[in-house]
Amino acid sequence: MHRAQRFLAALVVSGLGTATQAGDPVVTDSKVISEERRLSLLEARLSGLRLQVERLEDRRAIERLQQAYSHYVTAGRAHDAARLFSRSPDASIEWAQQGVYLGRARIEAFLAKVAPSAPGVLHETPTLQGVIHVANDGRTAQGRWRSLVMAGVHGEDGSWIEGPYENEYVKEDGVWRIRSLHWFTTVEASYDKGWAKGARQAAAPLKDLPPDRPPSVVYQSFPSYFLPPYHYTHPVTGKPVGWDP
Amino acid sequence: MKPIKFLAALAFATTAPLLPAQSPQPDLGPRLARAAERVAAMDQRADRVADYDELKNLQQIYGYYVDKALWDQVVDLFADDGSLEIGFNGVYVGKDAIRKYLYSLTGGKPGLLKGQLNNHPQFSPYITIGADGRSAKARWQQWIYDGIHGAGSGGNWGAGTFENEYVKEGGVWKLRKLQFFQRFYAPYEGGWTRAAPESAYRYGKSKVKPSRPSSVSYAPYPTSFEPPFHDDRPEQAGALLSAGDTRPVAPAAGRSVSELEAAVRKLELKLDRLQAVDAVETLEAAYGFYVDKSLPDAISALFAQNSTLEILGRGVFIGLDRNYEYMRRLSAPAAGAMFNHMPLQPVVHVSPDGQSAQVRARLLVMFGATGRAAQWGDGTYENTFIRENGVWKFQTLMGTMGMYTDYDQGWAKKPAPMMSYFPGYPPDMPTSLKYEPYPANFVTPFHYKNPVSGQ
Repeated sequence: MHRAQRFLAALVVSGLGTATQAGDPVVTDSKVISEERRLSLLEARLSGLRLQVERLEDRRAIERLQQAYSHYVTAGRAHDAARLFSRSPDASIEWAQQGVYLGRARIEAFLAKVAPSAPGVLHETPTLQGVIHVANDGRTAQGRWRSLVMAGVHGEDGSWIEGPYENEYVKEDGVWRIRSLHWFTTVEASYDKGWAKGARQAAAPLKDLPPDRPPSVVYQSFPSYFLPPYHYTHPVTGKPVGWDP
Repeated sequence: MKPIKFLAALAFATTAPLLPAQSPQPDLGPRLARAAERVAAMDQRADRVADYDELKNLQQIYGYYVDKALWDQVVDLFADDGSLEIGFNGVYVGKDAIRKYLYSLTGGKPGLLKGQLNNHPQFSPYITIGADGRSAKARWQQWIYDGIHGAGSGGNWGAGTFENEYVKEGGVWKLRKLQFFQRFYAPYEGGWTRAAPESAYRYGKSKVKPSRPSSVSYAPYPTSFEPPFHDDRPEQAGALLSAGDTRPVAPAAGRSVSELEAAVRKLELKLDRLQAVDAVETLEAAYGFYVDKSLPDAISALFAQNSTLEILGRGVFIGLDRNYEYMRRLSAPAAGAMFNHMPLQPVVHVSPDGQSAQVRARLLVMFGATGRAAQWGDGTYENTFIRENGVWKFQTLMGTMGMYTDYDQGWAKKPAPMMSYFPGYPPDMPTSLKYEPYPANFVTPFHYKNPVSGQ
């Protein structure tokens, strides 16, 4: 660019900048800026507000979606639980060390095995303590949750199962769906003995329904000590959180 | 560029923004109306978000009142024509019948019996607001851990599902129909898989005659029964709240630019306060996930500079350094150590100016030292939050002790005594509340009034 042109460009930019900065703090003083200018400033603010409204709605829609999962899994309704997931063939579910199942049909088959509706079978699965982050474009989101589960077969020893989720969500035609659900069961224990004496290893892949992919993260549950990584940085410092190696 | 052209351009560029508006005012009417309509539409969407939050609070507040058998407070949450149906005990219609029934559960008067634990956590809200914005339905999970100290058993575990209806009257959400489907109610000894099916019928049993017999005939676990969903459309479970709103947008306010500005400012504050709900819920949950894993740096960084920390009977610790040292002393990451901290059921209220917030939450603790000890613990948080330089932080954290017990015994058999000062790490101030944990009956003061009665 020619030196004079550069000089001119800088002048124009600074001139516009000055006008905006001078205008903002006195928007209500019609002697300084015109009604039309005040209205333009308001109109510009409205677009930002619309996005804010939508983010508020997104978070609650994701909470509702995730809680529908709690209720359908508790009810043993694998078919309906699978319909909470994205229609994409990449939609996935992964529990414990059981491997990854891809697509709605396989998700349904997996849930029908591990959380069936059958007399005497219990899997009381509330989802708790959500930390949700929606992407700025409002198309994807992530959520950390935890489940504390009362499980078992009537007449046998029951189970306590506990651990966090790191899930991903996607908005399809305006409706949030689960893109991937990953439940890290960091505690599995005998009801009779409790976790100090009756800890069990995280569930292994099903022999009669092998997963589409092996576990994406290999870990051992309690008494081993494992921290499922947080999808988010620290809410105040903005820095990643984890253990020192 | 020729110098003369350059100078002309320069003159234009520097003077144009400073020229007074000479042209006659254009008619802003249509633009103003369009903007006002947009504001009104957003306002309606924001109100629906607020409805969702209020409905969530309402059900969770119900749970905290039931915990302490504050039956008059529970009754006040109902609409006049409200009904209550718990487990297999028939339907009680109207406030008088509901009150009589609830009193009968604690010997004919409100308040817990001696040595009674009656905790009823509310989980998994699945809320559907009616198209008209004046009615709502919700499915919730409710767990129960209760018992009478010294009665022999360690207590009971229970679980089931609510399918409830709500009504908005005079701008306030109320319970219209509470229906709890009991899945099981099992003695602590042996738990749900060993319990006889009949054990479920013990729950909520009363000599007070119901207004109507049970509305649904079903059997508890181990029979497989699932209460029907009020909104059984999994493909739409993640739809936005506004998608279910069929109301026309209210006539727009703002005939002048000044009026529109005022409406926008009001909307901005409304959104700010709703975002605050999300921010403090996130902080509360993030705190639990960090305590789980013994991360003292991350925990103390959630707090404001002059914040205070008061947990169990350990006294008040002031400031970030003391907070950090406290957390560092609690636990360290190690194989065989479990320190699960679950802050649940957050009832959130944001101040009118959107600069501070209060949260009541239930704490559930799973403590473990492998081969040696396992414990259940519970408590109540009453925390406050402030916005410091635009960032939300904990201002005060106060966690009162409910019950802690050895896993092998159960709370009603062997509740632990108050956990007092750390040896060698005294607090900056003594405890602010004098109380004893379970089996004493202590009600952690509520930061809020009854949302319906205002009492």
